Amino acid sequence: MTGSALVAVRGLRVVHRSAGLFARSAVTAVEDVSFEIARGETLALVGESGCGKTSAARALLRLIPCDAGSVTFDGTDVLALAPEPMRRLRKRMQVVFQDPYSSLNPRHRVGTIVAEGLVVHRLASGAAAQARVASLLKEVGLDPADTAKYPHELSGGQRQRVAIARALAVDPEFIVLDEAVSALDVTTQAQVLALLEHLRDARRLTCLFIAHNLAVVQRIATQVAVMQRGRIVEAGPIAQVFDSPRHEYTRTLLDAVPVSDPRDPRALRGQQAERAQPAVGVANRQ
Amino acid sequence: MTALLEVENLRVTYAGAQRDVAAVAGVSFAVAPGEVVALVGESGSGKTATALAIIGLLGESARIEPGSAIRFEGRDLLRLGEPEFRDLRGRRIAMVFQDAGAALNPVMRVGEQVAEAALVHGERDKARARAMAVAMLDRVGLPDAARQARAYPHELSGGMKQRVMLAIALLLKPSLVIADEPTSALDVTVQRQVLSLLLELQRESGTAVLMITHDLGVVAETCSRALVMRRGELVESATVDDLFHAPRHAYTRELLAAMPRLARPVPPG
Ligand SMILES: Nc1ncnc2c1ncn2[C@@H]1O[C@H](COP(=O)(O)OP(=O)(O)OP(=O)(O)O)[C@@H](O)[C@H]1O
Ligand SMILES: Nc1ncnc2c1ncn2[C@@H]1O[C@H](COP(=O)(O)OP(=O)(O)OP(=O)(O)O)[C@@H](O)[C@H]1O
Ligand SMILES: [Mg+2]
Ligand SMILES: [Mg+2]
Repeated sequence: MTGSALVAVRGLRVVHRSAGLFARSAVTAVEDVSFEIARGETLALVGESGCGKTSAARALLRLIPCDAGSVTFDGTDVLALAPEPMRRLRKRMQVVFQDPYSSLNPRHRVGTIVAEGLVVHRLASGAAAQARVASLLKEVGLDPADTAKYPHELSGGQRQRVAIARALAVDPEFIVLDEAVSALDVTTQAQVLALLEHLRDARRLTCLFIAHNLAVVQRIATQVAVMQRGRIVEAGPIAQVFDSPRHEYTRTLLDAVPVSDPRDPRALRGQQAERAQPAVGVANRQ
Repeated sequence: MTALLEVENLRVTYAGAQRDVAAVAGVSFAVAPGEVVALVGESGSGKTATALAIIGLLGESARIEPGSAIRFEGRDLLRLGEPEFRDLRGRRIAMVFQDAGAALNPVMRVGEQVAEAALVHGERDKARARAMAVAMLDRVGLPDAARQARAYPHELSGGMKQRVMLAIALLLKPSLVIADEPTSALDVTVQRQVLSLLLELQRESGTAVLMITHDLGVVAETCSRALVMRRGELVESATVDDLFHAPRHAYTRELLAAMPRLARPVPPG
């Protein structure tokens, strides 16, 4: 597998240091994380909120420094790359951030934002770029007329789709999607997932898919890594991990997935009502 | 029972750069005290605009069209002055915003922001308010809450910021919580924990919840009634049981068909 991996992360360690007024604090967000993603595969990274998924992804893309470990992309040592080759590599690796609003320039219109990569990497300009932008917006379920809007004029899910369109515009080989479909209604979400699957089949697009919705992960991912407190506790093919989880935390996660039917006795609503009633129940029995 | 919140023929228009957008096009519904109601629907259908209209936080580019009415606890919210509205917002209606990162004050420690909620709710003693804040952050599952309370929003992960917003809403103990995608960045175990806290508050304090979410599992877990929006209109209003088992509108059926469901192996035996 090592030979064919497009992305390989080894022993990654990320420490966030904040210099406070009186004290310096350091949080080790990622500790000894290793994984590989073969071309055309989708690796889902799931786990506790705050366990280091975003930190690991940002470090892998060299958006934040890491304290230990190595990252290779298509055989290239990413962390050692000089600025110019790194700039060229950025075209091949794209990212959709968890927080779509702060990642979109508020002073630019949607059309400019989505075309940004095309212009920066000199892939298209003028009418060709506009046509590409319009077709991408359509593919993510947005109105091509939205190109004239500013980010603040969009709903949460519309912003998220602008960020997805921007990332796909440059036809990347690898894309990091950090909670990138969580603000979409399920029909739009299905449309975006189908688009990703199509790109995976047609262009062997490789994905690192960070998400909390395990049903979505089950649909889109081929591999999964489960993280807890900065470390990967279990990893493997999606069917294997989800059907026969070995780690306690993976089982806890799978058991906590929301019910898909309100009549399910495990629904919180029913349990709450039950817990509220015992006094009456006990009195009746006596 | 008289309604806590009544929205009647609500129409919200945004003045766009090119043309006006009718974000909400005549929506009517009511929420009873203590009721947990889901607001679901297409991305861009006007859910957040409806919520912002209720709490009076639509921006300057939006206008509420004549003929719209919003009544809350018997008061006509569209005729309320800003000082009265500000008072209502903290004490009677709390909102958990869709974009927690943008809603929190970036230059204030999160613990202080939660403590402010305790102060708004009537606590006089600052140290006690801070202690209440840490206790609530702990209850919403923030690990090492005493230390994290000293963090600034940018030092927290997406789901941690969401929990700070929830802690604020829970401490206010209002009669209505409007929660816009409150758990979209939480892992399922923490999600379960905060949803159950929200239901606890609903039972103990009689708080009603308007839950805006794309996660139909969250709806099935927590809500008793659901409103479905599409293109600014309300296309269906039903009990959650009917929504899942006897959906009337084609769009609702489409949503249910597209709902991602986790397939688990059938246990042996
Ligand atoms: N800029 C920062 N400064 C200090 N600490 C940080 C910073 N960014 C993240 N952290 C801390 O690092 C840890 C991991 O955060 P990260 O954002 O990677 O989590 P995550 O797995 O993406 O969580 P979520 O699912 O909630 O988005 C958390 O404890 C967080 O508080
Ligand atoms: N400030 C604004 N200026 C102009 N148009 C806006 C503004 N805010 C929202 N809109 C438009 O109003 C419509 C409704 O937006 P709203 O944010 O209410 O949608 P939503 O149902 O909350 O969607 P999502 O599920 O994606 O968050 C959308 O078409 C959006 O583009
Ligand atoms: Mg994250
Ligand atoms: Mg919204």
